[in-house]
Amino acid sequence: MKAVGARLPRYDGVAHVTGRTQYVDDVRIHGTLWCKALRSPHHSALIRSIDTSKAEALPGVHAVVTANDVPHNVYGHLEGLGVPADEPLLAEIDVRWKGQPIAAVAAESEEAAQAAVDAIEIVFEEREPILDIRAAADPGVDHFHQWGAVYPHFGPHNHRRVRKGDIDQAFDEADLIVEGVYRPQAIEHCPMETQVSLAVPEPSGRLVIYSSTQAMYFSMGVVAAHLEWPLNKLKFIGGTVGGGFGGKVDTATETIVSLLALKARRPVKWRYTREEEMLTSSTRAPWHIEIQDAVTNDGWILGRRTLTLHDAGGYARFSPYGVTKHAFHHTGAYTIPNLRFDGFVVFTNRVPTTAMRGFGVTSVSLAVELHMSRVAEQLGIDPLELRLKNANRVGDTTGNRVVMHDPSTVPVVLAAADAAGIELGADYRAMTPERRNGDLLPEHLVGQQAPDGEHLATYRGATNGGR
Amino acid sequence: MRLTVNGVEHDVASPPLATLLHVLREELVVTSPKAGCQQGGCGACTVLVDGEPRRACLTAVAAVDGAEVTTVEGLGEPDALSPVQTAFHEHYAAQCGFCTSGFVMAAEALRTRSNGDLEREEIIEALSGHLCRCTGYVKIVDAVAAS
Repeated sequence: MKAVGARLPRYDGVAHVTGRTQYVDDVRIHGTLWCKALRSPHHSALIRSIDTSKAEALPGVHAVVTANDVPHNVYGHLEGLGVPADEPLLAEIDVRWKGQPIAAVAAESEEAAQAAVDAIEIVFEEREPILDIRAAADPGVDHFHQWGAVYPHFGPHNHRRVRKGDIDQAFDEADLIVEGVYRPQAIEHCPMETQVSLAVPEPSGRLVIYSSTQAMYFSMGVVAAHLEWPLNKLKFIGGTVGGGFGGKVDTATETIVSLLALKARRPVKWRYTREEEMLTSSTRAPWHIEIQDAVTNDGWILGRRTLTLHDAGGYARFSPYGVTKHAFHHTGAYTIPNLRFDGFVVFTNRVPTTAMRGFGVTSVSLAVELHMSRVAEQLGIDPLELRLKNANRVGDTTGNRVVMHDPSTVPVVLAAADAAGIELGADYRAMTPERRNGDLLPEHLVGQQAPDGEHLATYRGATNGGR
Repeated sequence: MRLTVNGVEHDVASPPLATLLHVLREELVVTSPKAGCQQGGCGACTVLVDGEPRRACLTAVAAVDGAEVTTVEGLGEPDALSPVQTAFHEHYAAQCGFCTSGFVMAAEALRTRSNGDLEREEIIEALSGHLCRCTGYVKIVDAVAAS
């Protein structure tokens, strides 16, 4: 236990302050070519024809790749978990977001590569884009996605569901129903280091890939799957990331530089420009979250109905995973015994969205905390006392049947009150996270409690039936 | 064209309108100035030109012909850090590190101008053209104040 409680120097601190840290863009391999991509200028379109011959003939151009050059073009980021694939590495016929890569070039300089991209002859047939998640599933919408407007592979359902208790009874018994709509918007991660990778063919036939990825072995798997190569022909060098925040989980550049390096038989580097990073790299998803709470005049939340629309952009990527985490956190740090949650992953003609710091969770946390304050305001109750009253306690079960054994809501709310200089009633000031009893165990919370000492929700409580 | 970079003189072969950032990184392989935005917006390419902090990405090399350029490689060695480098290290002012070279050079220029105690506002003003997306600004300002 030398590290716990000790103030240790950063292992990489001296390298950072002396400029010795070697990021991917700092690696120098003789003969390295630069990559640039042809990206869709349209939100939604069909490719009617593409001709790369003029680009290939330009001086300094060593390779051009399109979908035809990718051994296994359509590969899903979650295919290993049984989520079917929907996204091509390079667009084939249809393009679903402005900035989607269609072809890529390797040339002697960035300028030569861009000139070659500009020389690719392509004809599009534009389609009306779908940019609003609320309108995407409207009747009569001719949706571009082969699966329709929403991701359909949540087991037997086309959305992520949570069902707990008897939601209709909770709403029948409520003194008041409090409604709110919350719409956290897309956010670009904007790391200081843009997306970058460098692929170097070895004489042995192996590829060495310097990568800024946040997920080395995941990226290796993605590259191997697209190339249809065994993993032992790939050597990844990474672990030095100039900021990621979730935006370097998706494999953005590695596979395309690999294809170009193999075709050109030269090292190839792709470093996004700042514009490219802002316009075409994945973002945090925009969301549309509707919450209805069934509450009593004395501040208990009996039940919650939630509808969430998660904007995946043009392809699924990790969005089903994000909405699942969202579902697990939709009661926030509070115990609500009756729940009905429906979360849809909706496809639009936006840049595909991805993880960012608390994937799927921060969006619903924002909505929940705003909603708690709205409930308190409508009931005329102190917003911190409402939170303490409904706080998670030892033995409480969440919507997805996780039993709380060390919930932190009470100490966190008390610390927040202290920090903000807010006075609380004596009963609230004395609260602890321990098991409910007395006034804090009203009739409606009895059934959701796990037996004392039980830390796994293997039991079926009286009201825990599905619906 | 000639440049003196960290005390070593170099002939420059790049075209006159090439950026100082391109000359440093691609021709002379001095890689601490980073190509964060190449639009003058992030400060990660900041170097000292005759002692003054400059955006290497916006500076044509012909405009600084004959100048003395200092990058973070020209400050202290890993086993003999400068006071500013020591303070950045000890105050955890570098997280991913990608913006650090630029911040350190701006702080060095500030320290050269003013050796005594600095108001936090002065430090913030001197560093205001620099972005850190790991958002460690408090630690960076603490480090400069302590340097």
